[in-house]
Amino acid sequence: MKNSEIGRIWHWQITAIVGVVLFIVLLLGVSFGPISLDFQQIIRTLLGLSGGLQDEEKALFLQLRLPRVLLAALVGAALATSGAVYQTVFRNPLADPYLLGAAAGAGLGATIALAGGRSSFYAALPLFAFIGAALAVAATFVISGRSYADPAMLLLSGIAIGSFATAVQTYLQQRNSEVLRPVYSWILGQLTVADWQVVKWASFYIILALSVLIRMSRQLDGLLLSDEEAFSLGISPNKVRIIAIGAATLATATAVSASGLIGFVGIVVPHLVRGITKRATNRALFTVALFGAAFLVLADLGARTLLSPAELPIGVITAFVGAPFLLFVLRAKRVLK
Amino acid sequence: MITIKNLSLRYGDFYALNQITLDIPRGSWSCLVGPNGAGKTTFLKTMLGNKPYDGSISIDGIEVYKNLRNVAFVPQRPEIPAGMNVAEYVMLGRARLDGWGRDSNSSRKYAMEILEEMQLVAMRRQLVTQLSGGEMQRVLIARALVQEAELMILDEPTSALDLHHQISTLDHIERAQKNGTTIVSTMHDITLGAMYAERIIIMQQGRVLLDGQAREVIHSQELKMAFDDGITIHTLENGRPVIVANKATASL
Repeated sequence: MKNSEIGRIWHWQITAIVGVVLFIVLLLGVSFGPISLDFQQIIRTLLGLSGGLQDEEKALFLQLRLPRVLLAALVGAALATSGAVYQTVFRNPLADPYLLGAAAGAGLGATIALAGGRSSFYAALPLFAFIGAALAVAATFVISGRSYADPAMLLLSGIAIGSFATAVQTYLQQRNSEVLRPVYSWILGQLTVADWQVVKWASFYIILALSVLIRMSRQLDGLLLSDEEAFSLGISPNKVRIIAIGAATLATATAVSASGLIGFVGIVVPHLVRGITKRATNRALFTVALFGAAFLVLADLGARTLLSPAELPIGVITAFVGAPFLLFVLRAKRVLK
Repeated sequence: MITIKNLSLRYGDFYALNQITLDIPRGSWSCLVGPNGAGKTTFLKTMLGNKPYDGSISIDGIEVYKNLRNVAFVPQRPEIPAGMNVAEYVMLGRARLDGWGRDSNSSRKYAMEILEEMQLVAMRRQLVTQLSGGEMQRVLIARALVQEAELMILDEPTSALDLHHQISTLDHIERAQKNGTTIVSTMHDITLGAMYAERIIIMQQGRVLLDGQAREVIHSQELKMAFDDGITIHTLENGRPVIVANKATASL
């Protein structure tokens, strides 16, 4: 091995492997369900070759399976990446969209949008969800004050804010009983009603937010140092923080408004990637996004098939995996030290 | 040229820095000395421009406040990030030069040269959290050196180093100085400071007591005053001054 320069810091093989895994999981996702579809035919359909899926199967694939699986991938990528970014910005291994109250805030915002709007309000929903999420993160941050890097403090503040937002949301829901049903089905997870319209706007906001975050990953690494050191390296710490929190919150809010409240992805995926690579830096953000996508597509597959033909809410699956994992992280958070 | 005029920094009624006026020539090495709490570290951090201050600090006529320039900073107590290896940590020093994008080949090559000079090559894949205090200090200085900065600010850069590494590290910093980098450092070991810095700035209670050529400052009354007459200056046969603390006599 030549020693004349530092080896590549991030090994792209890892990203490539996760990419391949994601591709396989996506294929599994579109193929399995109450009606199984053939892999070969799926690929032929996608490539526009002859011998692809026909008629009902083709409609099932294009109108139901594909948008649903793509939405799960987008939402998984958004939640995982924003989890990793929150963890860096708050210097707190337990920061996560769900635990920070961002998800509950987004839920409240979305409920306000549904309760106030008469027509189908889909495109404005992310905006309301974003405002709700941003306010919730800000409130959590303010309440934990200077001790935001203390996991317990941030966690408890997030729980308080989250519970409060959920309480207000429930109140609004009960008062506007006509929105009870859409709100409730939305909270349980929208993946069931995913269509191309949702995929379209969700992918717009999520890809925008994630590309901002991935592009600034090295500045985010600088935030792992003291503010003075970061400044001397050419980073305005507060500016980077605000942009990063804004982008992560936009991704979270979009994910929540597209698919309801899905917890724990932001904790499980970044910590798994760190555990596997033994590294905690933001160079891994793209890999975290791919991994998050694969994770949620797989969780959705579980949600659809475990009690088939009935469906479990996807949040149940992620909580089932995530809650024990959170306990594990709590116990082993010095793993990297 | 760094021009500092009437620089003050106040916490409530307490002046951490009090009306400091100084000129620091380009390419010089200035060493701040003084007792604990004299304001040395505050002074260094203020020079970074990250926080507001009263008065003026300008480099070639441009105020430093909120102005991101290529300044390397070696803090005494760095925030040590979890899950980052030595190579990655040092490469952070090149990130701005690489436009915050992918590491350029020339940067990786340059960083390797510095790691070799600092005898850190063997530990480049270790996590920085696993380093000893002295190793971490050398890694920090390596990060500062790869920045190829116009100004290098070092807070006690050798406090955790053994005698061999003290000299070799200061030699590396001196080489950066010879290449045109202005150095401002603090050093508790005044003897060592006088070996490298051509200028010594004595601080006490947020003020500059004396500032001048190392040789002159070291024999000044002000130096003794700053340490409450607790030091004695000896001169070795080769003419080099050695500063030692007096043993407290009161208890004898």
